[in-house]
Amino acid sequence: MPSKGRYSYYVEPAALEVTERPARFLRAFAAVLEHANYAPALDLYARVGVKCARCTAACQLYESTGAAEDIPCRRSELLLRVYRRYFTSAGSLRARLGDAFVLSDEYIDEMAEAYYRCTACRRCSAFCPMGIDHGLVTHLARWLLAEVGVIPKALVVAVREQLEGVGNTSAIPVPGLKDTCEFLEEEILESHGVHVRFPFDVEGAEYVFFPAVSDYLLEADTLMGNAAVLHATGASWTIGTGNYDGINYGLFYSDRMMERIVKNVVAEVRRLGGRKVLVGECGHATRAAWYIPTFGGPDAPPVVNCLQYAHAMLEAGRLPLKPERITERVTYHDPCNIARQGRITEEPRALLRAICSDFVEMTPNRTTNYCCGGGGGTVSIDEIRAFRTGPMGRSKARQIRETGAHYVVAPCANCKKQLREVCEDNDLDGVEVVGLHDLLLRVIDLQPAGGDSVSRSSAGALATVAQG
Amino acid sequence: MESAIKLLSGPIFRAAVVFFALGLARGVFLLVWELRRTYRRAGDQQIPLRRVGSAALGWLVPHRKLTVQPVFGLVSMAFHMGLLLTPLFLAGHVALVAASVGIAWPTLPNPVATALTLVVLVAAPTLVLLRVASRPGRALSGWRDYALPLLVAVPFASGILVMHPAWNPFPFQPTYLMHLASADLALFLVPLTRLSHMAFLPLTQLATELAWHFPPDAGSRVGAALGKAGEPV
Repeated sequence: MPSKGRYSYYVEPAALEVTERPARFLRAFAAVLEHANYAPALDLYARVGVKCARCTAACQLYESTGAAEDIPCRRSELLLRVYRRYFTSAGSLRARLGDAFVLSDEYIDEMAEAYYRCTACRRCSAFCPMGIDHGLVTHLARWLLAEVGVIPKALVVAVREQLEGVGNTSAIPVPGLKDTCEFLEEEILESHGVHVRFPFDVEGAEYVFFPAVSDYLLEADTLMGNAAVLHATGASWTIGTGNYDGINYGLFYSDRMMERIVKNVVAEVRRLGGRKVLVGECGHATRAAWYIPTFGGPDAPPVVNCLQYAHAMLEAGRLPLKPERITERVTYHDPCNIARQGRITEEPRALLRAICSDFVEMTPNRTTNYCCGGGGGTVSIDEIRAFRTGPMGRSKARQIRETGAHYVVAPCANCKKQLREVCEDNDLDGVEVVGLHDLLLRVIDLQPAGGDSVSRSSAGALATVAQG
Repeated sequence: MESAIKLLSGPIFRAAVVFFALGLARGVFLLVWELRRTYRRAGDQQIPLRRVGSAALGWLVPHRKLTVQPVFGLVSMAFHMGLLLTPLFLAGHVALVAASVGIAWPTLPNPVATALTLVVLVAAPTLVLLRVASRPGRALSGWRDYALPLLVAVPFASGILVMHPAWNPFPFQPTYLMHLASADLALFLVPLTRLSHMAFLPLTQLATELAWHFPPDAGSRVGAALGKAGEPV
């Protein structure tokens, strides 16, 4: 039963007799190859993979388990085998000559297990001599699995709430959001003696702020740090009540969902007449926002991560800091989604060196950092905590222990949750996991800016950041 | 036997060279064509060419990658150097081409070519042994993974015996026949197997980068194609 699209495929009647799901998987595969941009890379991977096993030196999961099913190359081979078999003429010919491989329900279940044991951190992609990006294969495989209904409940529930429910992944209603921000304003007033506002629905603001919405529930210090930095640097910024969630779990399981969520962010910026998207401390939210030029059209708003913003202000001499510094030992965890490609690695380090007297690096770091162990959305799945903090988190726990740090700075909502659990489950009792803005809040000097918003524009200092 | 040698060094060799060259050229052309199409429909066409180029070059000249699995890396580099340099720059091969089509290029001194051939002959079984000795290597490998390095070493083994008759315990003609047949077979196999990475490797990093540059409406189109447009999450 060949399809009529560019990517035809061949499914034996025998496979269809067993169940409908493999056929639906292949239809989804054909549609994705037709309409997305994965086909050339996948075709190349299917041709050139030499199975040298060098990727095993990169994978923290394989390092822990030593199990064959955790070899990145083997995991990718699961999908490449389906591709070769159903989407290449050689595979089709082999099938007609008696190749025994048929996509079955059991095989789909094996892929589901494999592709959700991987956090898609992409560390292994830098180790593959053939240039195979196993993270890309995981990303694609998860989308195909989602089209046949295989999605972790935690991810699909969050996306459903964001797209069809209250409008954000934590189901925080607007009154709740405003109450929280009022509380945060009072906290800053109490600690710093300055009234720092969380402005809502300001039209024409330079920055529309999209943190991980869970920060409003869990990361008060991070948000207060964000607001303090924006206040002290005189930024024109706002929170939109139409959409105030930077989280995009579509990135973890479906480009269809990701596209819708990104478009909603752009729509909110346009509703408010804002000029730029300012993303809070969240790795995957930042990476998803970097897709705004893809989905937002030619006049898509530029994207700035709050670390880039704070760093640009520091460089411009516009970030007022108290003379005292953080004296406890501090180390930095690079969130994969912003560091793996080398996009945001130096800005947070410059900030930390400016405010900490004892900053130490984890090893490895930057583009070859270890994942926190909860990447790819798996941190949301509470049922697999033992897996996340055990086999998946062990390497990170060792890294943290070796630094001897008191503070682990992780500028990412998901990494923070995961690292706290890693520390709890691996006896790292004296370690505190915080955001970078949590520490900035402690040393920022709000007095020079006073209690009112300062009107000077921060556009100049950030011109280059927004282009990046 | 002489007629078989004539056949393998004449029409079959020419066919193998043409198949090798056109097969790889076709593959690269189709890939570039697809990458061009992919690029044109990407919503964000800002490609970080410097990073992509640097990554591609880093694997084409991989001396900086030897910090991970250094033994495997060194053996593999030596294997590939011998594999590429010896057949292309062996004085005997260049002389045959010059006699046939009148084109010549610089050649390796014969002792160097012999040394490189010996490197291939040591490296090929070593790569297989390293694969056997490695637990993940064994878990990943099928018979093709063991056979291919050994197969490409056969023309080198027979070639060195042809070059150095004093070392050859076998009669010359069967050895020469083996050299020709295995070389022709290897040339035919390159475009059909993973050996084709010799042509595709420079493009894998770019293909990966472009795969991450989604078309702006890919998700919607897939949804529509699957009859899921407007379907609740």
